[in-house]
Amino acid sequence: MQTDIPIIELKNLTRRYGKVDAVNGLSLTVRPGRCYGMFGRNGAGKTTTIKCLLNLLRPTSGTARVFGLDPQKNEVAVKSRLTYVPDSVAFYPWMSVRDTLAYLASFRKHWNRDIETDLLQRFQLDPNQKADRLSRGQKTQLALIGAICPEPELLVLDEPTMGLDPIVRREFIETVIGAYQSGEPQPRTVFVSTHLISEFEGLIDEFTIIEQGRELLTMEADSARDRFRKIRARFVQPPGSFELPGALDVRRNGRELEILANGNSEQLLEKLRARQPEELRCESLSLEEIFVASGILKKANL
Amino acid sequence: MMFQIDFKSGKPVYLQLADQVRYAAASGALRPGDPLPSIRPLAEELRVNRNTVAKAYAELESQGVIETAPGKGCFLKENNSPFTKQVRQKLLITEIDEAVVMAHHLQVDRDRFLALVNERLDYFERKSGATKRDD
Repeated sequence: MQTDIPIIELKNLTRRYGKVDAVNGLSLTVRPGRCYGMFGRNGAGKTTTIKCLLNLLRPTSGTARVFGLDPQKNEVAVKSRLTYVPDSVAFYPWMSVRDTLAYLASFRKHWNRDIETDLLQRFQLDPNQKADRLSRGQKTQLALIGAICPEPELLVLDEPTMGLDPIVRREFIETVIGAYQSGEPQPRTVFVSTHLISEFEGLIDEFTIIEQGRELLTMEADSARDRFRKIRARFVQPPGSFELPGALDVRRNGRELEILANGNSEQLLEKLRARQPEELRCESLSLEEIFVASGILKKANL
Repeated sequence: MMFQIDFKSGKPVYLQLADQVRYAAASGALRPGDPLPSIRPLAEELRVNRNTVAKAYAELESQGVIETAPGKGCFLKENNSPFTKQVRQKLLITEIDEAVVMAHHLQVDRDRFLALVNERLDYFERKSGATKRDD
């Protein structure tokens, strides 16, 4: 296996619907074995991007490569090595859970029966239940089983936890970590698009925030949490205005200051300490907070 | 042992895990020969990437804190670092420096700082002594 070939590679990907650029010159690279997050608001172009990877849509311009292959020209080769859980799943209503899985398995060269049994038990899904009697959470669980049993090299998740209750969400993530990532021989890659970021926080190695079809920020999760920090300072007296060069954002509220640091928290802390604050705290931004702050990042031209 | 992850601490998650193992070893919560949790269940429980746990264990192994028995998992090693005394002291000095800087900012003076260091040394000694007596 050639591990130097990126699992996903987008170069200037553009997809237009009429006059609207849903994806507008997006480039990103997902290396093997990574869990890569694509964060963006509704309408940012996440689903359109994923559909271009799966040849459900053709790019207007630019290229999408999966396993180094063009999904348009090598559709079967690409799709046989990945699975996909879309944002809303639908099954044939007359099929039972068992029939549905057998049907999905019929398209696959490989299907891990043990994982299937394990997961059915874990999710407490009745194999005889008809698909149209399943709740939304159960349908997503069924789709996840269908995506994990073929043990693909790439698992593509599009807003997988939207509309699910917290317990089902938690189980979903645990299953991706446990059942999917457990295959040792070849690296398993996850590409997940979401705006419910906090659940995926521990799973994400690297991420891209997209806005209006463009890349806003691409970073390793650990370096992002190291770089973006929130400093809170409280003074005995309202501190008046003083310069805090390099701060991304400063919010003042009476005796309190809240400062967004961009890789310069030490210098900012030093400046604040000089003014002898009553309290001074510094913490990392979570990936979700970084996403929420991305408007500020954009203004700062990062 | 129980792990706890704090994404807001600014410390990479794998280092948090490695540090907690080192802490558990120093305080006697983990003793030489004790098994560490397997990667998969621990990753699931903490909802972190398996690679993160694997990276933490790899770091601990390279520092001689734990050892891997193929097919059996990871175990805490007898306390002998593979580094020379000089390197070990250097590693420690960086950590001490951080504490010294911190003490300065928190206006803890030299005597108080040294007293605290002694207090903590006693604390860890008592703790690991206590677990040894449990045998």
